[in-house]
Amino acid sequence: MDAVTTKPLLSVKNFIACPECDLLLRITELRPGEQALCPRCRCQLARPHRHSIEVCLGLSIAGLIISIPAYTLPLLGMKLLGKSHSGLLWSGVAGLFQEGLWALAIVVFLASMAFPITHLLLTFFISVHLHVNKANRYLALCMAWLQHIEEWAMLEIYALGIIVACVKLSASADLIFGFGLYAFVVLLAITVVLAATLDAQFFWRKIAELS
Amino acid sequence: MRSKQSALSQGFIRCGECGLLANIVQSAQYCERCGAKLYARVPYSLQRCTALLLSSYALYFPANMFPIMTVTQLGVTQKHTILGGILSLVEKDMVPIAILVFIASIIVPLLKLIGITLLLLHVKLRWCKHARLWAVLYRLIVLVGRWSMLDIFMISILIAVVDFGGVSEVIAGPAATAFAAVVVLTMLAAKSFDPRLLWDDGCL
Repeated sequence: MDAVTTKPLLSVKNFIACPECDLLLRITELRPGEQALCPRCRCQLARPHRHSIEVCLGLSIAGLIISIPAYTLPLLGMKLLGKSHSGLLWSGVAGLFQEGLWALAIVVFLASMAFPITHLLLTFFISVHLHVNKANRYLALCMAWLQHIEEWAMLEIYALGIIVACVKLSASADLIFGFGLYAFVVLLAITVVLAATLDAQFFWRKIAELS
Repeated sequence: MRSKQSALSQGFIRCGECGLLANIVQSAQYCERCGAKLYARVPYSLQRCTALLLSSYALYFPANMFPIMTVTQLGVTQKHTILGGILSLVEKDMVPIAILVFIASIIVPLLKLIGITLLLLHVKLRWCKHARLWAVLYRLIVLVGRWSMLDIFMISILIAVVDFGGVSEVIAGPAATAFAAVVVLTMLAAKSFDPRLLWDDGCL
């Protein structure tokens, strides 16, 4: 993409602006696998993917299915003095709430459960409509929300938290890894790949074509 | 005043939601593709960012002074602050994990607080130099900001797993709420800061 130095005042359609430095740029077509960087601030402008809609649709369905065991089966447990106790992802939130730290409980609930699931649901909703070329007046709203909550879904950080907690506990007790943990790892992998595959600009263009 | 190359100086506004360009003169106040209200720059970016930043500074002190969790191990109760928790990891010869937690809960919040302060000063005082380096700092702050939640998640997992009545249990302390608030507020501050301000005012 080339920087524009002379006054264009042509059609708005031929240009984009860098989201981070507002440099006016001419649109050029990219092939899948290529990426466009802003020549001034090096911000990533576009990174098209092959079959972005189909892959997102498949991954969001897989993610929604695997989140059922991930959120309902025991994640991690420990044995102590002959007794064993396992915790769900949910029981940490409930524990915080019981201690009266409701603000903290809400933050953990949103970041580790509500936003990741909403992210999957919105991706599913949008990609299924784009796949069958069906218009829906809520598509633009959903896409905007999808972009807003992406940053607040923190499964990968939660996974790192699990690792740190395991290392801390392993010194003093025997750990039990529940099936929920394996499901959680799969869910994590799916959301990471999903975030990399979703081509927001392509999605926006498709939404505009449909409506 | 504005840099010649910016979309705004050429009469275009980029929609904050979907990225579509609109002509200032011809178009309405709302984006024709997604219906969002159009703003040339994030409205009240510096004011909002400053307010959120000051709140995070205020909460940073209780977050580090008060215990973040109380650990009862076989009847012995111990209170940990953020730094105390890291030191006890070092004592137990878990140095790599200690470094990880140190980066996530000490370095990253400090980097964010100082970094956002410098970004605000940069724009306010029109330092006008090395915009590309400042853009890198901004991107770094946005990128690493979320990872400070590590400590909070770890505590929530410990609470779920270590729950054997009075024998062994983990309880979150008052600093945990303050620390989570610092992380969330600095994330919001970074989000409300408009990086395009770094390139405005013909600084190049």
